[in-house]
Amino acid sequence: MTILGEIALWIALPVALWGAVVSFVGGRTGRSDLVLSGERTVHVVTLLLIVTSLGIIAAFVGNRYEYLYVANYSNRELDTYFKVAGLWAGQRGSLVFWTLLLSVFASIAVFRNRRRNREFMPYVGGTLLGLLSFLVIVLLFADVNPFERMGFTPANGRGLNPQLQNYWMTIHPPTLYLGFTSFAVPFAFAVSALLTGRLDSRWIAVTRRWILLSWFFLTIGIIFGMRWAYEELGWGGYWFWDPVENASLLPWLTATAFLHSIQIQENRGMLKVWNMGLVVTTFLLTLFATFLTRSGLIESVHSFAQNLTIAYIFLGFMGGLAAFSILLIVHRLPSLRPENRIQSFLSRESAFLFNNLLLLGIAFAVAWGTLFPLITEGLFGQKINVGPPFYNRVNIPIGLILLTLMGIGPVIAWRRASPRNLRRNFTLPLAASALMLAALLLTGVRHTMALATFAIAAFVMTIVVTEFWKGTKARARIAGEGAMRAFASLVKRNRRRWGGYVVHAGVVVVFTGLAGAAFDTAVVQELAPGEAVTVRSAFGNEYRLVYESLSHSRPRVAEDARENDWRWTALMTVYRNGERTGIVRPERRFYPVMDQASTEVGIVSAALEDLYVIPRDVDLDSGADRVIFEVKTLPLVPWIWSGGLLVAIGALVGLWPPPPMRAHAAQHRAVPGPLPAGASG
Amino acid sequence: MTVLLGGILLAAGVMLYVLEPVFSGRGAPLYDGVDDFDEGAARRRVALTALRDLEYDRATGKLDGDDYEMLKTELSREALQHMGPRQRGGGDPVTERASRELEEEIEQIRRALREGLQCGDCGHLNAFGARYCGRCGEALERDGGAS
Repeated sequence: MTILGEIALWIALPVALWGAVVSFVGGRTGRSDLVLSGERTVHVVTLLLIVTSLGIIAAFVGNRYEYLYVANYSNRELDTYFKVAGLWAGQRGSLVFWTLLLSVFASIAVFRNRRRNREFMPYVGGTLLGLLSFLVIVLLFADVNPFERMGFTPANGRGLNPQLQNYWMTIHPPTLYLGFTSFAVPFAFAVSALLTGRLDSRWIAVTRRWILLSWFFLTIGIIFGMRWAYEELGWGGYWFWDPVENASLLPWLTATAFLHSIQIQENRGMLKVWNMGLVVTTFLLTLFATFLTRSGLIESVHSFAQNLTIAYIFLGFMGGLAAFSILLIVHRLPSLRPENRIQSFLSRESAFLFNNLLLLGIAFAVAWGTLFPLITEGLFGQKINVGPPFYNRVNIPIGLILLTLMGIGPVIAWRRASPRNLRRNFTLPLAASALMLAALLLTGVRHTMALATFAIAAFVMTIVVTEFWKGTKARARIAGEGAMRAFASLVKRNRRRWGGYVVHAGVVVVFTGLAGAAFDTAVVQELAPGEAVTVRSAFGNEYRLVYESLSHSRPRVAEDARENDWRWTALMTVYRNGERTGIVRPERRFYPVMDQASTEVGIVSAALEDLYVIPRDVDLDSGADRVIFEVKTLPLVPWIWSGGLLVAIGALVGLWPPPPMRAHAAQHRAVPGPLPAGASG
Repeated sequence: MTVLLGGILLAAGVMLYVLEPVFSGRGAPLYDGVDDFDEGAARRRVALTALRDLEYDRATGKLDGDDYEMLKTELSREALQHMGPRQRGGGDPVTERASRELEEEIEQIRRALREGLQCGDCGHLNAFGARYCGRCGEALERDGGAS
């Protein structure tokens, strides 16, 4: 199977190149046979890449250590579960996986548009196949071939990095990759629109759902990554401002900006060049995130291998794509002229534009911080890293303004809002915000940024809840429906709008959760079995943890076989305010094959806070089973995950397809005379 | 040997499938049979959606009378502007149906407003048949009202 996989990858190269060429030529010359051949190529390349991926998985599961990639990321003792996930454990497999997902999305796009949007399709297919050709060339010739053999077969592999041996790692990268790769489809449609010159709203109508789908995957991918960091990296945080985390955030920021600015184009015919630029930038950033991951170009917790060649190849490719896209946009500038101008600073389009600038501001700051080590190395010969303080100082204030705009945007009127309109809509939210601020100050909260976050969160949440409340009530009265039915039909009638509000509510909850970090408490203490440690949380809960015992893992196979990991598991009973609430089993692990240690934290989650137990060190010499524990209380962390869930639900509401239009029924139905809008008011 | 044979078969199958259209002359459509997308219709639908949302905004008291009138005039003008011959003559049934549903909804909301449900004073939306505003107690006007 593995050899067949390798053969399939080699076959994929000429096929993809053929497809890219004939698609463009077919589109340009009007040769429908070439267009069909190109479209078939997309499906064939997908099939070949599936065979390639199965070949790699077979090599992992079959312990084929003559393959360099398998030897570097697996060993005999590794669970099959992680062996299958070995496909995306390292750079070589990740690239195959990325290419596979891209081809699957390309196939879906081609299949779904086999009878519509035909004008675009030769160029969409050609662009996607061009990208696929590039990736296959990289895989085969850029020293990242997953099928590269060593001159010998080692008895065992080096094993998988301990930090990757976590179930979140089997979910987080694929989700993120789904987000990255699905964005290639909107990019291909944008290129196609530029090439054909058909720059009306059609390409936006076609790609809107794709962009939302990509945004959905990026969002949950980032949230899953945060959860992985929280559980696996064992320092009690979830966001490290690590270059690879940053790289995944960049396309998310620009895609978010696009999802907002596209509404200005749809409603007012403005920002056409800007939107085109955002689609191109977002796609380039997905490539940036991909090549940066594990390339070793910038040091990161994700850089498990170093291959600078590939970094330079991708940089060159991105540069070429950027230049090509800019040339196309410049060429089409006359067709991208705005149809309207912003009428007033106090308007929804103005708020959206400001939102875009802020999102791009954050993106720029993140990109600057991420690339700063490279810039300083290039200029001064010395890498200077910027840490979380830089990102926090710049991004928290911008993030808070953005959060405020999230409340203002949905209720401010399009075109121009009168002061009366503002007063009418913002009195209640401002009152709620002031009330929250007063309540927090009264309870002794003094942390400025946290106070600002909670007050703004109250402002935005009041707006979102009021919107739903008023909307449902109005619908119920107007259509004579019950509350539940009115709510459902309200959402059903404008999924994007109401789904967007749910997303906003989710983001508010996430921000509130993030602000909770201002109130973390921690205690570090060395304990012997039977001893206890006490820690008090910001919510006033007192946690007492009794260290009961320490257990050692025993070899699971024959005595002489090497274990994948050795474990020291502490058993602790947790009492909250004197009541027993459960047990935790924090763990220290040692991976002999990798010669690395790792920490598995113990977490007790409640509605408002997490108790987080880190076994810092185990005293193995004295035989007294003494362990140094760090016990933290992390207020509002559970809200980050709940908020993330809400964001995902909101995105799904927006993504949900509208009820099928009974086109034929409508066609044969008597058509009542259209109501001239505005005539009946 | 078996693997090599498998590879050759795979390559041959792929070549046949991909090149068949070129040899047989079969092709994929280059244009949509019926161009179900019409820029005018799309713009009109956007304007109608905005009008519908505007009616909801008025009904929920988010907009007062003057702002509502001003925006309604602008949006109605846009909707009419994009009502080209295709819309008047029928055009694509799916697009037309979507627009018609929006128009019906707008008309439903406007009827509710005309029938005096909306308090002209505080903007509160009252139940059918109400004579006085449930929030401020103001007498509800039977025609005109907020709209």
